[in-house]
Amino acid sequence: MKNNIMPFFDRNFQDIFFSGIISVIGGIFAGAALAIYKDKIILIPGMLVLLPGFLELRGNISGTFASRLSSGLFLGIINPKKFNTRVIFGNLMASFFLVMIISVVLGVLATLFTYIILGEFTFKIIFLSIIAGILANAIEIPLTLITTFYLFRTGHDPNNIMGPFITTTGDITSILALLIAILII
Amino acid sequence: MNKIKALERQLEKLIKIKRHKYHPLIHKIHKEHKISRKTLLYIKEYGPHSNISKTIVRESIKILLFASILSSLGGFALEGLKSSFLTLLPLIILLPALNSMIGGYGIVLASKFSAMLHEGKIKQKWPINKELKILICQIFVVACFAAITGLAGALLFSYYLGYILTSAHILKLLVTVIISVISIVIILALIVVIVGWYTYKRNLDPNNFLIPITTSLADFINMIVLALLLLLLF
Repeated sequence: MKNNIMPFFDRNFQDIFFSGIISVIGGIFAGAALAIYKDKIILIPGMLVLLPGFLELRGNISGTFASRLSSGLFLGIINPKKFNTRVIFGNLMASFFLVMIISVVLGVLATLFTYIILGEFTFKIIFLSIIAGILANAIEIPLTLITTFYLFRTGHDPNNIMGPFITTTGDITSILALLIAILII
Repeated sequence: MNKIKALERQLEKLIKIKRHKYHPLIHKIHKEHKISRKTLLYIKEYGPHSNISKTIVRESIKILLFASILSSLGGFALEGLKSSFLTLLPLIILLPALNSMIGGYGIVLASKFSAMLHEGKIKQKWPINKELKILICQIFVVACFAAITGLAGALLFSYYLGYILTSAHILKLLVTVIISVISIVIILALIVVIVGWYTYKRNLDPNNFLIPITTSLADFINMIVLALLLLLLF
């Protein structure tokens, strides 16, 4: 009986469980910020079109970045003691470039869909998406790099922890970045 | 010593082969020197000859564009129900948490399944093994627990912000969250297995494809489920 139960509640389960709970708590704080500032954020026309994709962007770009780093670290192709390598530099450049392109696309899509629903063009949301995207990823990408390396060095499997970690920190940085971008614009 | 030199020569040949071309040399090096296919893929894709950022952007851009369109469509469904959505403060608070869950568990499943594929733990004929089944069950248990914890947190915050809670409201929100979580885990598992297996068979790095496809498709379906539940229950 013990043998049947133990593999389920193994180290993997513990990692996924704790990172999952932390992820939800982080998400709730981000959601609370969204609720408090809903007049500033959600009431902007097209914001609900932009928001899911914008929140997801952190996971999609930093998540793949962390996954590639983990694979490279496990295979011994990336040295866990060196940040300044060609592979890492290439990954960083690609991530920033992808953020820029996708932020523009998300902004354009939000503008188009808002036009379809409300019949009005809101170009402001394109700039909002770009500025917030740059701000959020300026924090998120270096954070992903440092955390993946740290987890690997301390004997954890970054694959188990980085997903929830990225989406949680991503949600918080995304909402804050959106607020800052709204203030700037 | 001769063996190492032969390996070096073979690896030099390997990095000159174009990305999309499968070459018998990969199989030969894998068999002769017991180097995993994943390592060889890394050397071929991100070796000294390649422009790493260009390779990543080229492989990721289409899928990220697809993900953006899908997420925006999901958001489009919510934007249409904005007025009723804005009256449900606990759901506004829960939205980033649900989004986090999709992203987080999507990344865990996708990266673990990619690793299983590269390590040869997944058989050619059937893409599901015991390890994957356990992983999906683990994620399901954690997701349900996390969602209920999240709902409790959202209700507490809403109450603190002056939102009036009734037992009928709480029950409806609980049903909404549970249905969302069940659909999220089922969708994530299906997409990861199908897309991961397909991309790996096409000799591409599943790391670049699986996460964006999984999270965006699951996010899109979750938005549709949420919009439907909003229409039906509230």
